[in-house]
Amino acid sequence: MIDLDMGAYAAFVWPAWGISAAVLAALAIRAVVAARRWNAELKQLDTDAPQTRAQAGQSPIAGPK
Amino acid sequence: MFLANPDRFLRFTRPLTPVLWAFAGVLLLVGTWLSFAAPEDYQQGDTARIMFVHVPAASVGLMIYAALGVSSFFALVFRHPLADAAARAAALPGAAYTLLALVTGSLWGKPMWGAWWAWGDARLMSVLILFLFYLGYMALRASIDDEAKAARAAAVLGLVGLINLPIVKFSVDWWNTLHQPASLLRADGPAMPAVFLAPLLTMMAAWGVLFLAIWITSIRTEIVRRRVLTLRARRAQEA
Repeated sequence: MIDLDMGAYAAFVWPAWGISAAVLAALAIRAVVAARRWNAELKQLDTDAPQTRAQAGQSPIAGPK
Repeated sequence: MFLANPDRFLRFTRPLTPVLWAFAGVLLLVGTWLSFAAPEDYQQGDTARIMFVHVPAASVGLMIYAALGVSSFFALVFRHPLADAAARAAALPGAAYTLLALVTGSLWGKPMWGAWWAWGDARLMSVLILFLFYLGYMALRASIDDEAKAARAAAVLGLVGLINLPIVKFSVDWWNTLHQPASLLRADGPAMPAVFLAPLLTMMAAWGVLFLAIWITSIRTEIVRRRVLTLRARRAQEA
């Protein structure tokens, strides 16, 4: 069975797990939100001018010079 | 080298990414359940449960820096933009994992050692330096406007930081430290009963797979971001 009574150490165990959960969740959410945002931007540019999109594909991840 | 081509990378990782996210979620749930189903340690009591987040944070945080360093090497020597994207995408999760290792270690240290921190401890100091390398890497990238120059400067710093990895790993063997020596990677096998080993290994796998999910998602995002910037620049030139 699961033991959730941390007794005298509750003030140390729960913050350790709580902070870990919060930071991991923030990392995951940030990665997914950024992915959605930039994919939406690319889709928008693609819709506006598909021929330019094809040109960009020639230098796949090179940024602006 | 198969995945060095960004288009191939995007194609290959597209079906892999959701699988990694789902796998990380399942491992985290199972690992958490095992962590609280394990009995109290006869010496450390319930504080032993802090180990199930502290050890994964520290060990994966160290491995992430190895990934950042190797990616920096390929970015610097072969000037490969995907390697640079990989190094950049590893920095923030690496810094977060290492910070969690420091914070959770501190929360374990207070009740067990009687101190939140020990300045003279080689393991604690070398992990703090690892965290500072992560911060320095991100600060350097953010401080230079020219992305190509920023990438080269950060790659050099990323490579220099690799020197710290064996110091972190072997600090507990080379010096007398308050931090205990290795319990898992030992010549005579793990010095831990199976009832604690199972949650610990599950949580290490969970944190590792979660990092892979975040890392690959972020590398994909970086590829898309650079494409968007390229398209915007071309659009501006044409206008």
